[in-house]
Amino acid sequence: MRILIVEDDAALSSFIRKGLEAEHHAVDVANEGNQGRAMAMEFDYDLVVLDLSLPGLDGLSVLKSLRQRKANLPVMILTARSRIEDRVQCLDSGADDYLVKPFSYLELSARARALLRRSHLPSESVLTVRDLCLDRVERKVERAGRHIELTTKEFALLEYLMRNAGRRLTRAMIIEHVWNLTFDSTTNVVDVYINYLRRKVDDGFTPSLIHTVRGVGYQMSPDGASA
Amino acid sequence: MSTSPHSFPKVPRGEDVLGELLHSLSQPLTSLRCSLELSIEELAEQQQESVSAALQQTEKVIGMIQLMREYLDAEQPGPEASPVALAPVLRSVIEELSSIAAVRGIQLRMMGTCAATLPAPEPRLRLALQYLIATMIEAQAVGDKVMLLLGEGPAGAVLRVEGERGLRELDFQNREPSATSPQAKRDPSGATSASVSTLRRVRLAIASRVLENAGASLVFGDGGVNPTGFVLRIPRRVGTPAR
Repeated sequence: MRILIVEDDAALSSFIRKGLEAEHHAVDVANEGNQGRAMAMEFDYDLVVLDLSLPGLDGLSVLKSLRQRKANLPVMILTARSRIEDRVQCLDSGADDYLVKPFSYLELSARARALLRRSHLPSESVLTVRDLCLDRVERKVERAGRHIELTTKEFALLEYLMRNAGRRLTRAMIIEHVWNLTFDSTTNVVDVYINYLRRKVDDGFTPSLIHTVRGVGYQMSPDGASA
Repeated sequence: MSTSPHSFPKVPRGEDVLGELLHSLSQPLTSLRCSLELSIEELAEQQQESVSAALQQTEKVIGMIQLMREYLDAEQPGPEASPVALAPVLRSVIEELSSIAAVRGIQLRMMGTCAATLPAPEPRLRLALQYLIATMIEAQAVGDKVMLLLGEGPAGAVLRVEGERGLRELDFQNREPSATSPQAKRDPSGATSASVSTLRRVRLAIASRVLENAGASLVFGDGGVNPTGFVLRIPRRVGTPAR
């Protein structure tokens, strides 16, 4: 996929570029609003990652002008503004997603994948990782043909892991996406639920699919090996 | 060309200065966080440990910045908000927190309902309730119950949160927890007692400001057979429709 990063902070755009290139995307960088708009208009990108505070033309103006010509181009906004009204303004102006600094690269990568998937493929109702299948419509999980009974929260956690199979997920990302909480309430709820899932999904099966990534969090590995 | 004295910029307010500082901090912190995350994979195992430790510390700083932003937002009047019904948001927050309570061996129950609404952005109201109830859960020990009693009378709606232990059980003064306290076990995130109690105080302050800005009153309490964590009162004039 071809991705354009419009970000004036050279260090940050360089890290994002490095990460996305390691995921086999072709990445271009613009460090100024007018340049970003011109590149987005001229070339065919699959995704634009756009900072709001840019020299020259600000990010919101770039977004509005992109929406007039390229209505279907996915745009993810990066911003240090966290207020609800800023978020609403961006989404109302046509942004597809909104990430507040200081974000995690892993979060940016996961959201970029979701946007790319959404724009290229119909939403999958059945997720599969090796012999593990999760049916989102029927709310059923099977491994090697054996039915696995999960609670609502275990199902949501497994779905999040499977959607991001092969990617590292931090505990903060998991608690935000699965529990809808933005804080860690001095609890090890993620670790406890990962253990519940391991008992149901991995115990008695080979290979183990859920892996701990030291210092980061967890990962579902389709090849059975941790990162 | 003469410059009118009125064209000089005004002395910025303290909260604006703090907001700008937080805004400026977010850029280098994003670079730092992304760089640490991306470098972990490239390093040998021994070096990974120190980078992981640096990443965890960075995430703690980011968490504190997030709280400071929330506090600043809570202090501001915020956008014109449509009235949000309290009971459904409360039910949804309980659903979100029930698995966390269960992991700690605590039962979380809600009784009653009310038709009260609060003029606050729904995400802010949700966050305030999350902070309050999560703090009450933290105050309990394994096997305890937390009850949320919701009702309404002539003066308006009341949410009373009771537990088997009140908030007094928690450390709010950066003291080391006693061996018998529910907090004696080390925080799994690795946070020190001092930082946990500071974060806890800030979260309660945020919750309090959000709810008071929406016209409700919040009182923290304790004592009695069933110690009360807090009582939230929503006067009828704020949003409880008359029956």
